[in-house]
Amino acid sequence: MDEKKNAVFTISLLATILLLFTIADLVDGERIYSEMENRMLARKPKFSKESLLSGEYSEDYEEYVSDQFVSRDKWVEIKTRLDILLQKKDINGVYLGADNYLIEQHLPEDYTEQMEQDKVAMLKKLVDEWDAQVMLVPTADNILTDKLPAYADYYDETRLLELVRASVGTDHYVDVYHALEDHREEEIYYRTDHHWTTLGAYYGYLAWTETTGQRARLYNMENMTTVSDDFQGTLHSRVPVVRTTDPIQVLPMVSSELHVTYDQQTTADTLFEEKYLSTKNQYGYFLDDNHAIVEIQTRYVTGGTLFVIKDSYANCLIPLLVPHYGKIYVVDPRYYNGSLSALMESVESEKGMDVLVLYNCVHFLEEFRY
Amino acid sequence: MVFSSAIFLFRFLPIFLICYFLVPRRVKNFILFLGSLIFYAWGEPIYVLLMLFSTVVDYCLGRLIDANRDKAVSKVFLAMSVLTNLSLLCVFKYLEFLPLPIGISFYTFQTMSYTIDVYRGETKVQRNLLDFGVYVAMFPQLIAGPIVKYKQVEQDLHERPVDLPQISYGTKRFVTGLAKKVLIANNVGELWSMISASNIESLSVLTAWMGIIAFAFQIYFDFSGYSDMAIGLGAILGFHLPENFKYPYIATSITDFWRRWHISLGSWFRDYVYIPLGGNRKGLKIQIVNILIVWMLTGIWHGAGLNFLFWGLWFAGFLILEKMGFGRVLEAMPVFFSRLYTWLVVLLGWVCFSLETPGAILSYLGAMFGVNSTGVFDRQGLYLGREYLILLLIAAVTSTPLIMGLVRKLKNVRMGWSLAIYRLGEKLIPPILLLVSVAYVVAASYNPFLYFRF
Repeated sequence: MDEKKNAVFTISLLATILLLFTIADLVDGERIYSEMENRMLARKPKFSKESLLSGEYSEDYEEYVSDQFVSRDKWVEIKTRLDILLQKKDINGVYLGADNYLIEQHLPEDYTEQMEQDKVAMLKKLVDEWDAQVMLVPTADNILTDKLPAYADYYDETRLLELVRASVGTDHYVDVYHALEDHREEEIYYRTDHHWTTLGAYYGYLAWTETTGQRARLYNMENMTTVSDDFQGTLHSRVPVVRTTDPIQVLPMVSSELHVTYDQQTTADTLFEEKYLSTKNQYGYFLDDNHAIVEIQTRYVTGGTLFVIKDSYANCLIPLLVPHYGKIYVVDPRYYNGSLSALMESVESEKGMDVLVLYNCVHFLEEFRY
Repeated sequence: MVFSSAIFLFRFLPIFLICYFLVPRRVKNFILFLGSLIFYAWGEPIYVLLMLFSTVVDYCLGRLIDANRDKAVSKVFLAMSVLTNLSLLCVFKYLEFLPLPIGISFYTFQTMSYTIDVYRGETKVQRNLLDFGVYVAMFPQLIAGPIVKYKQVEQDLHERPVDLPQISYGTKRFVTGLAKKVLIANNVGELWSMISASNIESLSVLTAWMGIIAFAFQIYFDFSGYSDMAIGLGAILGFHLPENFKYPYIATSITDFWRRWHISLGSWFRDYVYIPLGGNRKGLKIQIVNILIVWMLTGIWHGAGLNFLFWGLWFAGFLILEKMGFGRVLEAMPVFFSRLYTWLVVLLGWVCFSLETPGAILSYLGAMFGVNSTGVFDRQGLYLGREYLILLLIAAVTSTPLIMGLVRKLKNVRMGWSLAIYRLGEKLIPPILLLVSVAYVVAASYNPFLYFRF
């Protein structure tokens, strides 16, 4: 009798779980977009005889069911918590570091010497033709090594940086690595995002003034203001259980008179876009997220022209460069499809222009082109 | 459709079970057959015809064999059945110019067991095409076994009373299998794929051993988990499907290992190849030849690659060794050493099984035995070791009868507290395992990598 009662209990409990979620899932509405993943979710596929026979329909349908599964983000959270409980030290390519740092993982085998040589050769051509300055920013795993889990492997970017320095020459090489290394105890990287902070960018800026001989503007650290204190960046999306939040800080602009043109269409009078602070992508606050080309007209009409070839690491540093130039062009080759050299020649003024290459080391290997 | 997917757990299974239990008994086989066709056609909309073809052919040939019993021509029909099935297998599995139909290695072996048994008079012929169709297509075991011999379920096909304890057993068994697959197999599988994808020439000894141990657990928990789900689903429907695994990693010899690993395949080859060839009744020489043949076939049953052939022959070698006297030496040894030997042979076998090219196999074996200059430990090995230690320990413990032994003890000690723990565990563990497994199933599609990376 006891056995029968237990059987009823087990069967009804398990059946209830399955049925409950089936029904909940069926009545649950469709989500179009997953902010956590920054992607469109699969929608119900259209039925046709062809797609059914080719197997495409069932594949799409399965994708639709799993993408739209009821409270999917909660299930992901449960899974991630269990992974951590089981002592996983990296989740979705992110190391769970000390002091609540999430650190993006870059494995040595993914970045070969060949890749380094190819990109550096490209870079050298640019430097030779334009007398450009090169700022390659190490990623957090190279600077915050003591925060990594024990024995965690990382792609050592010093090999690349040495090669760059040797090939472009010290006059063209901004030593960001040591500038950050000297301040590794400070908040130079976000805990939940793969970017460097405004403070990190400020140290990078100081290194830039040292190399270029530009007079460092006196940014007063005490004036640093916090525009958000609940930033949870891209690394949080990959480990969606940590409660850590980051502040986003800005150094007040020396001047606010700006004319900014994004992609030759929209204009603005600031480099900071408040609207991003209420979205998941708060880093987009700097330079309105990603654009192919940004033109910044400053009030320093006596200053020359700067042309920046960059990734998103540059977005929080460029505001610091404003007092140095009358005009700044910012180009992200991932979004700009045309020829870079043609663009550069077309915007170069008679007085010539400075050129700056500003990437983090990994994006440089993955994305830089000239 | 695989069992460990949202579409199976939250669409197919509930809808199917509701229909199945609502309809009157005489319609149940029809619903089961129809459900199985949908289940199969979902992933193989064209090849479902192939399976139906194979079903109809063997149904007809079975009847022809029966109608011509004791006549020479019955042998011709049997040969036709075996030939049809083997040519299907050869064309799709070994010629490799068409994609492999899921489950073909399983259902062709099942239908062959039927015609052979009818020919031998070991089973009655099935006159009902629907019942026969259910035997072949039944979705619980259709795509990954166990390979059910017709005579094992003959009774169940006609009449399968099912009571609540059996359904409860079935659901628990299914949940256990699901958890084995998604919680253990998939996770240790990640470890293996990471290690096998890195440069084998620079693996440390630690990493190489960890990798192949991870693979050993992956394939065991994957395959036995799938068998558990099949047996569990079968039990819910009233079928008694044969066991497929009996803690293979506690085996004390290779002979013992093969009595515990993929039992339904081993017993198929024993009944339809080894014993007909004479087995061990015609002297040691013939027995050795028979072992070689059977394990060569066992090897290539797993795939067209030469590595599977070598894998089969590797086991044949040790089986023969054990038959020639080493088996008695093993029995005399402390269990620790005989297990160590078995583990070693099995693990080295898995290297051959899991890596396809001779080059990769040799360099992996080299890495295991310290040929690389990386040394015994390295960062990668220590890092992964720390990260996966708990999971590997869980896998190691749950691949032995320890836990089930403990459970039985709890149940049998007639003391209040132990029974209370048993009752509580019995109630709580299955739903927890189910929910956690669902989390892993659903989270598998979580893809934050496209996130604004820059």
